[in-house]
Amino acid sequence: MTIAAQLRDVSQVFGDFTAVDGINLDIESSKLTTLLGPSGCGKTTTLRMLAGYAQPTSGSILINGKDATRLPPEKRNLGMVFQSYALFPHMTVADNVGYGLKLRKVPAPERRKRVAEALDMVGLGHLADRRPKALSGGQQQRVALARAIAIRPDILLLDEPLSNLDARLRLQMRAEIRRIQQETGLTVVLVTHDQEEALEMSDVMVLMRSGHIMQQGTPQDVFERPANRFVAEFMGYENFFATSEHPQATVRPENLQLLERGATLNSGAHNLPAVITQIAYRGVDVMVRATATDASGTAVDLLAAVRADSGLASGIRLEPGSEITAAIRPADLVPLAN
Amino acid sequence: MSIRLAIPKPTMQKTGGRPVLGTLAVIGYVVMIVPILFVVAAAFSGGDSLQFPPENFSLKWFGAAVSYKPFMSALASSAQLAVLATLLALVIGVPAALALQRSNFAGKGWVQGLFLSPLIVPELVVGLALYQQLIAGLGTSTFTALLVGHTALLIPYAVRVTGAALSLADPFVEEAARGLGAGPFKVFTSVTLPLLRPGIVSAALLSFVTSFNNVPLSLLLQGRNFSTLPVSMLDYVQKSYDPMIAAMSTLILAATIVFAFIAERAVGFATIFGGINK
Amino acid sequence: MLSKKSSLLLLGPGLLFIVLGFCLPAVMLLLAPPGIGPAEVFARLGRMLQDPYDLTIIGRTLGLGLLVTALCLVIGFPIALLLARSTSRWSGLLLALAIFPLLLSNVVRTYGWLVLLGQNGVIGQVISAIGLPAPQLLYTETAIVLGLLQLFLPLAIVSCYSAVAQVDAGLDDAARGLGASRTRVLWTVTLPLSIPGVIVAATLVFAGATTAYTTPYLLGGSNQRMLATQLFNYSTVSIDWAAASAVALIMTVLVFAVSGVSTALGSRKGKTS
Repeated sequence: MTIAAQLRDVSQVFGDFTAVDGINLDIESSKLTTLLGPSGCGKTTTLRMLAGYAQPTSGSILINGKDATRLPPEKRNLGMVFQSYALFPHMTVADNVGYGLKLRKVPAPERRKRVAEALDMVGLGHLADRRPKALSGGQQQRVALARAIAIRPDILLLDEPLSNLDARLRLQMRAEIRRIQQETGLTVVLVTHDQEEALEMSDVMVLMRSGHIMQQGTPQDVFERPANRFVAEFMGYENFFATSEHPQATVRPENLQLLERGATLNSGAHNLPAVITQIAYRGVDVMVRATATDASGTAVDLLAAVRADSGLASGIRLEPGSEITAAIRPADLVPLAN
Repeated sequence: MSIRLAIPKPTMQKTGGRPVLGTLAVIGYVVMIVPILFVVAAAFSGGDSLQFPPENFSLKWFGAAVSYKPFMSALASSAQLAVLATLLALVIGVPAALALQRSNFAGKGWVQGLFLSPLIVPELVVGLALYQQLIAGLGTSTFTALLVGHTALLIPYAVRVTGAALSLADPFVEEAARGLGAGPFKVFTSVTLPLLRPGIVSAALLSFVTSFNNVPLSLLLQGRNFSTLPVSMLDYVQKSYDPMIAAMSTLILAATIVFAFIAERAVGFATIFGGINK
Repeated sequence: MLSKKSSLLLLGPGLLFIVLGFCLPAVMLLLAPPGIGPAEVFARLGRMLQDPYDLTIIGRTLGLGLLVTALCLVIGFPIALLLARSTSRWSGLLLALAIFPLLLSNVVRTYGWLVLLGQNGVIGQVISAIGLPAPQLLYTETAIVLGLLQLFLPLAIVSCYSAVAQVDAGLDDAARGLGASRTRVLWTVTLPLSIPGVIVAATLVFAGATTAYTTPYLLGGSNQRMLATQLFNYSTVSIDWAAASAVALIMTVLVFAVSGVSTALGSRKGKTS
């Protein structure tokens, strides 16, 4: 495993606001790393520091093992795709893509070849002579991608690249970016607030909150074993309760079993007495909200996703007021650190 | 004041300074501001001619300027002229801006050009033209000729600035008001006019200073007993080299600063001058 | 949308005023001043364009106008750029400081140069204090250029500022990420995208500088006549109305030509981008 970039004790302080608070992060080569978190968590600031648009207040940044902390963006050879795309409106698509190559004094014939390659890679070879204004949002986003790739960057940086696209195009571009990354073996750092996007695209996910890294790992790691309640909530867990062994634990809504009051699951399972408060029909699933009492005697809200027909199978009535048992198999229980 | 502030601002940016741009900027601010500072310094001189350093500190030239009859009557004339010309220009220009923004007809471009043309023709030329046709030709009073000239000069500002305010507004709000039951007059008073208000205030402020400070247009239209303040100040510079003009200038500077604060409070600097360059 | 009838009602009084109170007198002055026919005006114009003295004045007006325009852009654009791109809390104050002179009387602003450049002025005093002979500063072309620069710099800054401010600052970041230094960003991105505003600035400054009266009058005196002071002379001192009309014609044609060219450039720019 080789490291493309390292952040060491990096902080960014704006006045009395600490955007990034002493984070340490290694970016692995040829992997797609996502910085994920809610707005204000410091993910974009981290990306901008990596790119050189912001200077860390303290700490250092290494790119390919060399100190780049004070290096201006133009000396870093990182390709950045901006949320707004930032295409040059006075240049054609080809000139936009060739801009970085021109600055690198790549001779014209070679430049044309590489521009064409980059545009072909994003499927826009036929639009080379258009102006950015004449393109759709999705096409502009591909041009921005081609422009960043054309300089053969050491790292490709993507700042919420899909947030301005409609839902269908977004799904398409996720696959496309992933394909390009795997074909070229590029190191990619992607910033997003969309957990689904991060799960689908990443090799490594870095979850951030208030300038700190909360958890780092493969999508599977983070999704199945969230380190704490914040990560669990961000990954879509909604049930939080205490068991006899763990002061804080969680379970995914689809793993919460609903049984008749009095019935229990076999050995080691956690059984909580509960009362249904709300039912919402969602097609395949029915979302069931209930209040239960956990091991510490505290009232907690639970959410279960059950097959529409399972209520009948387990002999309970799916309606508000119905008294049931909410049960969790040991394998489904996710203990959380505080 | 803050000339020095021009230096740290650009150079303190994150990754090193921009020495060339910074130097040019400092030169620019020096040229714009330093002469004005020296006018103020000269005004507090106690000597009889412009000299540096001033012989002693005194307020006597302020006293002289305020009690100098030609200046005070010219001040009254200038104020009167500026207010009347501003009002007239708004009365003519605002409806024109409304028609130009909210209707389409053949030759609209030409009509618009005609309304903006006083902005292009050199003011000195307009002054001489009005002198020949109105004062010499029709025998009108100096004030009438000045009022016609200043109004013509200010109409483009009224048309442009209020037009810019109007173009920012959603054209469908008026139709929405009609749909909600407002008659054309009610639409104008309850929707259009409030939308126009910032534009009208900007245009009025801009018009007032433009008229009040004007020299080239007023120059050839001044009469024996009617002169505007800037023109009578120019005449005085020709006659005497004493610091009274510096004192008068300092008073105008102070008044302009007050005016600028009022303008900033009322609509903001940027709004006033934003309209000119649309 | 307004009906034809109501727009005519709204435009009518204004049109009447502009045509009678402005266009007609101006056209009369340019072509047929009182007691004089167009032929005489054009004959006078013809002689003027051959007279070396008049040609010097025309040349000076054009030359100084171009010089001042160039200086205003070279200094005004950087100021506009720094102000528009700065995140400093001082930038608001500095912008206000650049705009404020637009509100201040030209007489007041120009008078400052008399204090600085005059016989017992600050600069002369400093030079003679060092022991050098005091040079003639006032009533020179340099004085006029300084005065016009001071006068029109704010106008150039305001025009350039609104042009630069509407160029997305994200483009600067993008260009730098692709390897462009800040100087390269300026030349390849910011400036090309601000050209329409720069054209407006150049037009306003050139038209203003070639027709300004106060500055050449106070700082150029009778040594350094320009078209505006010459027009004043012909109409009040020598009362030669044919000559005055000829000068007025030159100034008006000059200004119309410049704004025509700038409009053409602006619309061509608008089409290609």
